[in-house]
Amino acid sequence: MTGIIKTTGADASIANIPMLYLLVVIGAALLLGRAAAILASIASFFSFDYFFVAPRYQLTVQEPAEWLALCIFLLTATVTGQLMALLRARAEEAQRRKLETAALAEASWAVASELDRDVALRKVLSRLAEIVRPEEAALLAPDDKGECHAIAKYRAAGGGEEAALGIAGDAIKFVLAEGRSIGWDKSRHWQKALGEADRPSAAYLPIVTENQVLGVLYLRLPGTRRLVPIEMQVVDSLANHAAVLLQRDRLMKAQARAQALAEADRLKTALLSMVSHDFRSPLTSIKASVSSILEDGSPVDPEVQRGLLQGVVQETDRLNRMVGNILDLSRLESGAWQPLAEPTSVAELVGAALDCFGKEENERIHVELDRAVAEVTVDAVQMVQVLKNLLENSLKYSPPGSAVELATHWQDGLFVLEVLDCGPGLPRGDEQRVFEPFYRAPGWKESAVPGVGIGLALCRGLVEANGGHLSALNREGGGCVFRVTLPHNETSQGKQRDPS
Amino acid sequence: MNTKVLVIDDEPQIRRALRAGLERSGYEVILAASGEEGLDLAALHNPDLIILDLAMPGTDGYEVCRQVRSWSRAPIIVLSVREGEEDKIKALDLGADDYLTKPFGMGELSARLRAVLRRTSVPGEPDEPTFSCENLAVDFAHRRVTVDGQEVHLTPKEYDLLRYMCLNADRVLTHRQLLTKVWGPEYADDSHTLRVHIANLRNKIEKTPERPRFVHTETRVGYRFRTAG
Repeated sequence: MTGIIKTTGADASIANIPMLYLLVVIGAALLLGRAAAILASIASFFSFDYFFVAPRYQLTVQEPAEWLALCIFLLTATVTGQLMALLRARAEEAQRRKLETAALAEASWAVASELDRDVALRKVLSRLAEIVRPEEAALLAPDDKGECHAIAKYRAAGGGEEAALGIAGDAIKFVLAEGRSIGWDKSRHWQKALGEADRPSAAYLPIVTENQVLGVLYLRLPGTRRLVPIEMQVVDSLANHAAVLLQRDRLMKAQARAQALAEADRLKTALLSMVSHDFRSPLTSIKASVSSILEDGSPVDPEVQRGLLQGVVQETDRLNRMVGNILDLSRLESGAWQPLAEPTSVAELVGAALDCFGKEENERIHVELDRAVAEVTVDAVQMVQVLKNLLENSLKYSPPGSAVELATHWQDGLFVLEVLDCGPGLPRGDEQRVFEPFYRAPGWKESAVPGVGIGLALCRGLVEANGGHLSALNREGGGCVFRVTLPHNETSQGKQRDPS
Repeated sequence: MNTKVLVIDDEPQIRRALRAGLERSGYEVILAASGEEGLDLAALHNPDLIILDLAMPGTDGYEVCRQVRSWSRAPIIVLSVREGEEDKIKALDLGADDYLTKPFGMGELSARLRAVLRRTSVPGEPDEPTFSCENLAVDFAHRRVTVDGQEVHLTPKEYDLLRYMCLNADRVLTHRQLLTKVWGPEYADDSHTLRVHIANLRNKIEKTPERPRFVHTETRVGYRFRTAG
């Protein structure tokens, strides 16, 4: 600056010189801060004195008026410099605040929008790293077995996710158990527990909600760096965000568990009510029939007795079918009943299914087979079971004497088999629920029509085990259709059985 | 004239069995396959007794019970497959006289039928001035109770309770029914009072109060005065 003044001959007018030096002080204050401003003020004071105040090139001053000018200059420069430095500090703080606010807002958003715990925690940690600039940081939480794992990691030096962090296991255990921080504030309560004489090289903060320690925040700062109170506040705040995340995750898991239990409970209740109603009804029939013959009284009419005993036989069969279906469903669900797929004639399948029904029922079943000689690759025993259950279901829910149709055709390379009835149809909107175990349409629940909501569930399970699909829909004009579709594997060009 | 029994049950096989069993015991049997049909037949034939299944689609047993009770005093025996005491209490409070849990034998049903029919001759008020059962005797005219010929001193409420139970012997009486009849409607939920009085009553009239001969507990439902051991 002195050089510039010299060369430009600005010293012609001494009044300009202090202004120019002031400019230097302001610049130093803005760019380099408070200390630089003071230094610049003093340097300017001496340069001004030395180069421009008479006698020049000496530090002495002749005129008392110039002494005054110099002192006023020093004062002005110092004050201006300090004001400027303050301004700079304010601007810097505002900038930092802005960053922190942005980081907190981003963390809040991550908490609110990201349902995946791990992703959200990584976001929170990366915001924290931006603000605090640690050497290493991590968020740890215990898993179901109580073992603590780092869910989110940060390393200033890079090295990716795999790089090992300098986390002390003892410290983590201590923080999880005690819920108190290590190396974060001046408290030294942890020294006895951990046996470390001096301040540990990293900080461990508990992540707490409602007096429950959910995890640990690990923070290692570079060298001797300490956090200022504002930064500590930000870290605390971000730790709270992490706490919210962990708590929410915990609640969500608890809810999922509760839902699974509720579902299991629903099935159990359904099974119990089924045992109560659907098993007891045939048992009541049997007991009442037999005891009415055994009781003392007038002689029993042989025709009546025969009818009662026939009823007993039917009810016993009905009970046996229910037990069989329940066992089959549980065998299938546990994977103990693997289908043995082999080429099977459609006509034979249908014939075997029809064999299971009596003469009266067979008269109600109308069969229409398309290309009856064709074959499908399925487990024959299971498919007969499916056909039998579907036909039985349709016969059961149709008005007595009404026809039930069984039809097959090929469509888009798929084998389609349909069972159509003229019953009341399926409840609107609940068409697919009929396949749920123990589901019975409202209005049928207490009815005498036998059935426990197992048969259709078993059918769907069997069809799907054979690579097919079973659906139910209402027919136009009443009744419903159960449609089985199977992949079309005609033996000539289809999948062969494994030759081994 | 034979006793007419109306059976309302939606299970055909149970209807068939009940018809056979009841006819062998000399009853005239009318069958109804649904609640609606049951109400129609009850109005048409005016049966002496109704056997009613609680669980039926459409008009269920409770509704039938309620409607029949609005015009008929014919005893109703309800059949239930449910374990729940609430169902029994509900049916009894609606006016059913007794219940049987499925599955039941013909013998059980006949016994209940006989007990219920025996009572229909004493609707509400005693037509005989005394009641006696084994060693217990109640003289309604003099409000005297004797056990083995020895007079037993009962408090007025204990006497009222015993009297009401004797008049409805062999019938299940719900807590609510007993409290309402003996104490009044405002005591309908005061089951503690009832328990205390039943205990006192048993101590005075039963030889072995812990194994009561007369005042039988129907757990959670109420009490029954048993005439047959």
